[in-house]
Amino acid sequence: MSPSNNSNPYSTALFAGLWKENPTFRLLIGLCPPLAVTTAVKPALTMGLSVIFVLVCSNIVVSLMRNLIKPHVRIIMFTVTIATFVTICDMFLKAFTPKMSEILGAYVPLIIVNCLIIFRAEACASKSGLVVSILDAVGMGAGFTLSLCVLAGVRELLATGHVFDIRVMPEAYVPCLAFQMPVGAFVTLGLLLGLIALLTRKKGA
Amino acid sequence: MSKLKLFARESWLLLVSSFVFGLLIAVTNAALSDRIEQNKSAKLNELTKTLLPNAEIFQPVQAEIEITLPDGSKEPARIFEALSADKQRVGWSFMARGSGFSGDIELVLAADRDFQKLMGYNVLVSSETPGFGDQMKNDYYRNQFVNAPTGQLTLSKTGDPATVDNQIVAMTGATVTSTAVVNIVNTFVVQIKDQMTKKGLIGNVAQ
Repeated sequence: MSPSNNSNPYSTALFAGLWKENPTFRLLIGLCPPLAVTTAVKPALTMGLSVIFVLVCSNIVVSLMRNLIKPHVRIIMFTVTIATFVTICDMFLKAFTPKMSEILGAYVPLIIVNCLIIFRAEACASKSGLVVSILDAVGMGAGFTLSLCVLAGVRELLATGHVFDIRVMPEAYVPCLAFQMPVGAFVTLGLLLGLIALLTRKKGA
Repeated sequence: MSKLKLFARESWLLLVSSFVFGLLIAVTNAALSDRIEQNKSAKLNELTKTLLPNAEIFQPVQAEIEITLPDGSKEPARIFEALSADKQRVGWSFMARGSGFSGDIELVLAADRDFQKLMGYNVLVSSETPGFGDQMKNDYYRNQFVNAPTGQLTLSKTGDPATVDNQIVAMTGATVTSTAVVNIVNTFVVQIKDQMTKKGLIGNVAQ
């Protein structure tokens, strides 16, 4: 976290992840889910909410234990903490949204190795109080979810003509199935990154 | 002794946390495992019922039936006897799996009450390419397995997919997936039929 000196640390923690430090579009971290689970908006949203849950829980635990964790065992402590909440999240998805759990498949357990979560534990939760850590987790998680949904929206629209299972394109639209495949994920992400770079350069950010 | 003290001082938090986290996972698992199992069974029943519409009860077959996979490994077959509401046998269902174009394919297959004809398959797990191998879920390919004989099936590139025989017409642009599905069906159906016949589970096979 890099709060600017002249702003409220709580609002900085909450809003930085949405745009200024958006994990996908600005920091380019944790790119496995944005490439893998963005074939449609529903799985992308489920993945985003799962990441928010894991991020908030792990940041709470790490923040509470930050004065007790020895520096040389901190990475393994973070990993154990994250793995616990990912396992719990996976079980909840299997129990309450089995179809979504099936669609997301191995990508839910793979949240354990998502560098966004361990990065926030290291950069924010291990150095900040409980409130700032929670706000940071919510903000970063929301920014991550937003970027997943934007990517998924573009890909679902171009690949099927639908968004959120609602028909958007006219009947005459010929679906471009390449956008459902990995190549579609890379192309969409690349184009969005280019667009964001163009916009931010114009603004001088 | 000092080493032990050092170990305890440096790692007590990790040990305590691991214990607490393990407990947390165990409690969650205890609370949700029944529901997760119910979901799995419900999905399996739902997929099997589309193949055997008259089936109401799926009773696991207790006899040990072992399948030899193409790589030489062996695994126990999961077979269910499908019964109607009045406990009459209406068919059999079983799981089958194998390698596809991108990852494993898992199918649920059904056969008629005498194991003479296939009643079709449904896809449990697959990550085949959308628009290509993914067509294995479409009726065009699936319907060729309905009423096909429970013997060796062969794959052909041309032919009439509407004809019911042991020739399966491949999906255009998805030869690997087409071959994979036929191989999975051949591996499991033939072995299950042979072993069930030997064990006397299907009696009137010669008819």
